[in-house]
Amino acid sequence: MSDELQHPRDSVTPNDPHPDPSPNPERKVRSVGERLPLIDGPDKVTGRAKYAGDLGQDGLVGRILHGRYSHAEILSVDTSEAEALPGVVCVLTGDDTPEPFGILPIAMLEFPLANGRVRYRGEPVAAVAAIDAATAAKAISLIKVEYKELPAYYTAEDARAPDAEQLHESRTGNLERDVHFELGDTEAEFANSDLVVEESYQCAEVNQVHMEPNAAVAEYDPIRKHLTIWPSTQVPFYGHLIFARCLGLDKGQVRVIKPFVGGGFGARTETLHHEVICAHLAKATGSTVRLTTSREETFITHRGRPETQVNLKMGMNKDGKLTGLASEVVQRGGGYPSYGIVTILYAGTLMYGIYDIPAVKYDGYRVLTNTPPCGAFRGHGTVNVRFAIENLMDRMADELGLDPFEVRRKNLLDAPVYTANDIMVNSYGLPECLDWVQKESNWDERIKNLGPNKGLGMACAHYVSGAAKPVHWTGEPHAVVNLKLDFDGAVTALTGAADIGQGSSTMVVQCVAETLNLDVSQVKLMANDSDHTPKDNGSYSSRVTFMVGNAALDAARNMRQILAEAAATLLDAKPEDIEFDGTMYRVDGSQDPGIEYMDVVIEALKDEGTITAKGTFSTPVSAQGGRKYRGAAVGPTMGFSYSAEVVEVTVDPDTSQVTVDNIWIAHDLGFALNPLSCEGQIQGSAWMGMGQALSEETRYHNGLLISGNMLDYRVPTMVESPPMDIKMVESIDPNGPYGAKEAGEGSLPSFIPAMANAVKMATGVRMTETPITPDRLFEARARFEREQANKVAAE
Amino acid sequence: MEVLPQFKLHRPASLAEALETRGSLKEARYISGGTDLLANIRRGLTPTENLIELSNVAELQRFERDGDGLHIGAAVTLAVLAADAGIQQDYAVLAEAAAAVAGATHREVATIGGNLCLDTRCYFYNQSQWWRDSNDGCMKYEGEICHVVPTSKRCYAAYSGDTAPALLVLNAQIEIAGPDGSRRVPLDDLFNDDGIDYLTLKPGEMVTTIHIPAPAQGNMASSYTKLRIRESIDFPLAGVAVRVASENGKITSLDAAVTGTNSTPIRVTGCDEFIGLEFDEEQGQKLAKLVQKQTSPVQTTTTKPQYRRRAVTAMSKTLTQNLLQALST
Repeated sequence: MSDELQHPRDSVTPNDPHPDPSPNPERKVRSVGERLPLIDGPDKVTGRAKYAGDLGQDGLVGRILHGRYSHAEILSVDTSEAEALPGVVCVLTGDDTPEPFGILPIAMLEFPLANGRVRYRGEPVAAVAAIDAATAAKAISLIKVEYKELPAYYTAEDARAPDAEQLHESRTGNLERDVHFELGDTEAEFANSDLVVEESYQCAEVNQVHMEPNAAVAEYDPIRKHLTIWPSTQVPFYGHLIFARCLGLDKGQVRVIKPFVGGGFGARTETLHHEVICAHLAKATGSTVRLTTSREETFITHRGRPETQVNLKMGMNKDGKLTGLASEVVQRGGGYPSYGIVTILYAGTLMYGIYDIPAVKYDGYRVLTNTPPCGAFRGHGTVNVRFAIENLMDRMADELGLDPFEVRRKNLLDAPVYTANDIMVNSYGLPECLDWVQKESNWDERIKNLGPNKGLGMACAHYVSGAAKPVHWTGEPHAVVNLKLDFDGAVTALTGAADIGQGSSTMVVQCVAETLNLDVSQVKLMANDSDHTPKDNGSYSSRVTFMVGNAALDAARNMRQILAEAAATLLDAKPEDIEFDGTMYRVDGSQDPGIEYMDVVIEALKDEGTITAKGTFSTPVSAQGGRKYRGAAVGPTMGFSYSAEVVEVTVDPDTSQVTVDNIWIAHDLGFALNPLSCEGQIQGSAWMGMGQALSEETRYHNGLLISGNMLDYRVPTMVESPPMDIKMVESIDPNGPYGAKEAGEGSLPSFIPAMANAVKMATGVRMTETPITPDRLFEARARFEREQANKVAAE
Repeated sequence: MEVLPQFKLHRPASLAEALETRGSLKEARYISGGTDLLANIRRGLTPTENLIELSNVAELQRFERDGDGLHIGAAVTLAVLAADAGIQQDYAVLAEAAAAVAGATHREVATIGGNLCLDTRCYFYNQSQWWRDSNDGCMKYEGEICHVVPTSKRCYAAYSGDTAPALLVLNAQIEIAGPDGSRRVPLDDLFNDDGIDYLTLKPGEMVTTIHIPAPAQGNMASSYTKLRIRESIDFPLAGVAVRVASENGKITSLDAAVTGTNSTPIRVTGCDEFIGLEFDEEQGQKLAKLVQKQTSPVQTTTTKPQYRRRAVTAMSKTLTQNLLQALST
C-alpha cells in the first residue's frame, strides 16, 4: 500500500478526520475516536490475566547466579556440589551457552551466561533448575567461581582513557560507536549570531521500573524437539530469532507466546538473558522451567537510559531565531552494546524534526563501561538532548529578553517539509500545542502573579511513530494483520503486536471494527502466539498504532471488499455500489429493506468456507531518510508527534524540595483513536518525565547497584502526582490510520526541561543536571548565592 | 526480594505467655506489624527460627487516657494514633509523626512499639544477600568494616523511626517487660548511639507501654516535620519534632528532637536558654546552631549528608517559628 502514501513533496492537504469514512455517516456506534475501555482491562482488574510468573507452576524452578565483580576473567566454575544437591536437575555455565546474542545484528556480544569474562557486577554466570525455589537458592550458593579481577571503569571518561583495558576485543577504545555529522556551517552561523552560548548538561542514568519484574517460562519437548516459551517481553518476534539461534534450533521448532506483560517502557524491547537462560534450562532438562527474577535482578538487567553528558553550543539572533546548534553527546552505555548504536544515533538525528535550524553539528560517543547495559527507554535517544536544548533555549530567551513561547514560534518548521537530514515531516501540530498550553495555563497572567518560591516553565518535544527502518532491516513488511471470518459471523483479528499495557490490542479491534462498520463487540482478537499470529516486529519506538493500525485497516478493507462482493451478488448490483449501515446491506441510495449482515456472511462463505483477509504495512522509501551521514537511517519516521508542556512548581525555601503543582500538556497525536487510552499514555509520559526530573537515578558503589530497590530508586508516588490538564491536538496525519500517530512517548521529554525552567523562575538557579533532587538544588542555590554576593561585593 | 524462609510462628495470648515462650527458646524474635522485620528477614538480615507474634496480647493493645496522661500499648497501630482526635488535639507532634511513617498501608499494621524499636538503616546494610556478599558484608552484619566510615570502630547506620523524636519532646516514658520483670524508664534511656547496639533492651525484653504525661495547661503547641525525597514511603533523611510553649510572646518551654541523622534519636540539649526570650531571627539562628552541632549524618543513604544536616537545621528553625506564630494568633 506504499503507493497510497503521501509525502510532503506532494501537496498535502489535511484529510477528513476519518479518511476512511464509514459507508453510513449516520451510524450510531463509532469504533474509533471513542473513549473505549481496553479490551483486556477486565482480565487485569479481576486477576484473570496470567503473567509469565503465574505460568508453569508445576514446572522446575530456574535461578541465576550473578557474578560479584565488575570486570573479571572467570578462571573456573565448580558446579559439583550444586549438582550433587538432591532436587537439583541441572546446572549450566557459560560453556553450555556458547552462542552470543544481542538486539542489533551488528552487536551480538552478550552471552546468556558469561563466557569467560564478566563485565558488570551482577552479570549472569551460572544457572540452575531445581524442584523448588529453596533448593534452587541453595544450589546457587554452592557454586564456586574463581575470578581474576581486571581494571573496571565506571565512567565514560575512565573507559575512554588511552590506557584503559578493552572490554570487548572488537570495540577499540571502548567505543561502541561514535557518530559525527555537520549539515550547514555551524561556526559560520555562530559568527553571525547575536548571541552564542555554551553549556554542559549532566543527566543521571534512569531505569524503567516496569511493574512486573522480568520472568519467563519455557517448555521443551525432547521428542519433537519443540521449544515453547512465554517470556515477559515487548518483542516476541526478536525473541523467536534469538531463541532459535542460541539453542541451535530451527525457527520452526520454536513457538513464542507472549503472556500478559506488566509494562516495559523499553526495558524489554530486546530479548534479555533470563529468557534465553530459561530456554536453555528447559532444553537441558527436557522439561518446563519457570524463571522469575527479583526486583533487584530486574534493576541490574537494566536497559535504562544512559548517564549522559551533553555539551551544547547554540546561536540565536535577537529576534529569537536559532542559527546553529552544535552538540557533543557522551553516553555511558554499560558492559554490552544493547541498543547503544541506535541510542547515540537517535540523540543526533532527533535534533531535527521539531525546529528549523540552519546548521547542526553532532559528535556522539557511545561508551562501554563496567556497569549494567543501558538500552531503549521511552523517548529513546532524544530525552537528555531535548532537556539540554530546551533548557538552553530558555536561558537564551532570558538573556535576550524574549518570551519563551515566541522563541519557539520563531523557529517552527514550515511543514510539510523534509529536514536537512532528509527526515520527512508531514502533520505538524506544534503551533496549536503551543497556543493551547499558553492559553490554558493562563501563562501571561499567571507569570505576573506568582507568589514567592513559585515558578512556571515551558518546553517542547517530539517523537517518532515507529522507525521507518526497523532494527532488523530485511525488507519484510513492517506489520501484518490477518482477519478471519467464519460462519458465526464474528471477525477475529490475528496480530503479532505485543500489548504491554499500552492498548495495542484494543487499537487493532477498533480499527477493524471501524473499517468494517461493525460494533467493537463483533471483533475478536488473538495476539502473540507465533504458531497462529503473523510476525510483528514488536512494541517499541511507538510503531504499533501507526504501522499495525495501518495493516489492520488494510486487512479490514480487503475483508470489506469480499463482503461487498457477496452482497452485490445477492442484490444483483456492483460491489462499489454496496453500502452497509452496520446492520443491513443495500444498494447505495436505494430504499430496499436490504439484506442482513449474517446473510451476506453466509453468501461469502458458502463456496469455500472460512475467509482470511490479510493486510500489510510497509514504509515507503520516501520516509526512510537519506544517506547524508553514516547512520542517517536511524531517526526517520512516518510521522512525528509533538508536545508542548507548561509546568508550575513550588520550591521549599528550607529544603529546596521541588513540588510540581500543575502540568498543562498539549500533545499532537494526529488523531485520538481511543481518547481514553491516549490520555492515559500522555499522563504516563509526563509522569515518567517527572520521575527523571525530580528524583529517579541509579547509584553505584564500585559498580554495585546501590539503588536496586524501590526505596533507594525513587519513583514518584501518588502524593507527588499533580493535576494534569491535557489537550489532544489532532493534526490528522495524511498517512496514519485515521490520521493517528504517536501518543505514548513525546510528552516525556518535554516535561524535564519545562520543570527545570520553572525551577529557574522560582529560585533564580538554572539547573543543568537531572534529577533536580533537593540536595543538588540546595548546593546549586548556595553556589548561586555566593556568586551573587561576590558580584555585589565586586561592584 | 526472596521468599520468606521457614520459621515457627508462636502466638501467645498474654504478655506472661509471650515472655514465657521467649524464655523457653534459645533464639526468637518478637513480631507485631512486621513491616520492617519481614522485609529484613526476606533479605536474610535477621535470620530467625522462631517468631513470637504479639497481636493476641491484650496488654499491648492498651489505649487509655487518664489524669496522668496517655497510655499507649506497644501494639497500637500508627494509623490509630495518626487518626485519633485527642492526640491530634493535645499531642499533635505524635499524630503527625505517626502519619509520616512509610505509606498508608504500612501504617494500618505498623505499631508504635515496632517503630520505636525500628532497626537502624544504611544503604550498605539494607541490601540483598547477594549484594552484601559481593561487598564483603559490613560491620553491622556478616562483615568487618563500616563502608560508610571505613576507619571507624563503630557502625553508623541511622536510626530512622519517626515517632521517637515526637515522644521525646512529649517527655514520654516507656515500660519494658522481660524475664526479670518490668521497669519504667524515660524514653531517652531506650537508645544507644551505635548502629549495631542501638537499643538498650536486654535479651527477651520488649517495650510494652508508652506513657505520655498529661499536657501542661497553657499556650503550648507541637509539630513534626520530615525531610524526605518523596512524601510517602520514604524513611526520614532527617526528621525534627518541636514542642514549644509561650506567654505574651515569650518562650516558656522549648523541646526539640531529631531523628534520621545519627544512630540514635537526638534530644536537642541547650533549649532552656530560649526560656523568657522572644524567638526572633537571632534566636532562630541559635536553635539552628544547636541542631547543627548535635546532629551528624553520614553517607548512609544516597542523599548527601551535608544536605541532610543543613536542611534539618533550617527546618528546626522554621518549624519553631511557625508554631510560635500559630500560638500568638
